[in-house]
Amino acid sequence: MEGKVIVITSGKGGVGKTTATASIGAALAREGKKVAVVDMDIGLRNLDVVMGLENRVVFNIVDIVRNKCRINQAAIRDRRIDNLFLIPASQSDNKDSITPEEMVTVCKEFRKEFDFTLMDCPAGIERGFENAVAGADEAVVVCTPEISSVRDADRIIGLLYAKKITPKLIVNRIIPSMVERGDMLSHEDVVDVLSVDLIGLVEMDDQVIVSTNTGSPLVMNKESKAGVAFSRIAMRLNGQPDLPVEIPRSHEGFFKKMGRKIGMRK
Amino acid sequence: MLNDLINKWRGTKKSSSQTAKQRLQCAIVYDNLEVTDDVLISLKSDIIEVLSKYFKIDSKAISLDIERSKDTSALVLNTPILSTIRR
Repeated sequence: MEGKVIVITSGKGGVGKTTATASIGAALAREGKKVAVVDMDIGLRNLDVVMGLENRVVFNIVDIVRNKCRINQAAIRDRRIDNLFLIPASQSDNKDSITPEEMVTVCKEFRKEFDFTLMDCPAGIERGFENAVAGADEAVVVCTPEISSVRDADRIIGLLYAKKITPKLIVNRIIPSMVERGDMLSHEDVVDVLSVDLIGLVEMDDQVIVSTNTGSPLVMNKESKAGVAFSRIAMRLNGQPDLPVEIPRSHEGFFKKMGRKIGMRK
Repeated sequence: MLNDLINKWRGTKKSSSQTAKQRLQCAIVYDNLEVTDDVLISLKSDIIEVLSKYFKIDSKAISLDIERSKDTSALVLNTPILSTIRR
């Protein structure tokens, strides 16, 4: 059976696309699937450092497109997680070095070799986005509960619909206490504005920065709430679409909450 | 703190997330109303084609614009009719 190509995109930069790609990829591989995570941010590669594989880069996606190497020569095997492979971006080329048509062709090869191929899309709606989306079967849009991020997500969702892809949404970096206080858009607000299906809610988690610092997979850290959330997203992508979406909640005390309810606290 | 208390009880103060949601919805509505010049040009040529079936018109004198007021957006077409086409 042929694999799936899923693009992870957002429009706005810095909302957690790369972390999401690395974590969902790792989680899918831990479920026994053969997974490739592809860094499509040509010229500004970062998926390699986030995954802790920066020292082993030899070939890259541009080399594959130009037939300088085969996919399995460029793919870096993760030694901690079986069946997880990284295809790095080129650092010396730019987004115009490859075309969407070439990506469609390359994606056919990926489908043959891997159960899941996750494309880490660059920010923006230009050529880099076009390249990342061209060969994709499905899309996951990441946004944070901020006006700028949600607005950009709306643009991206429109562009994906134009390409006949119905995206699913991850709301990342939710701070439950702020949502409860009314100082952060809730996931209901975001879904209401964007009218797309949710595939997961990820809470703000210090462990994301810690695991990025060391280049270790977030999903292997059982303490990490974000890691658990990403693992559940991977399960939804991997044949369990009806797995309930957990809503992040704050754990503040009864009196603090009551105080806020009656207006004694902000 | 007393002010917060009073505001909360009177229900006058809107939460910042409610404000954010409203601003966001407005921004998105406006974004979706934007039309590029390319679209306008191709729309114009399509309209000329359709109108030409029924009227003789001066295709150079036709004007097509989007007029925006505070809360509406209207497509305004203005063309002189030279004659109708009898069939």
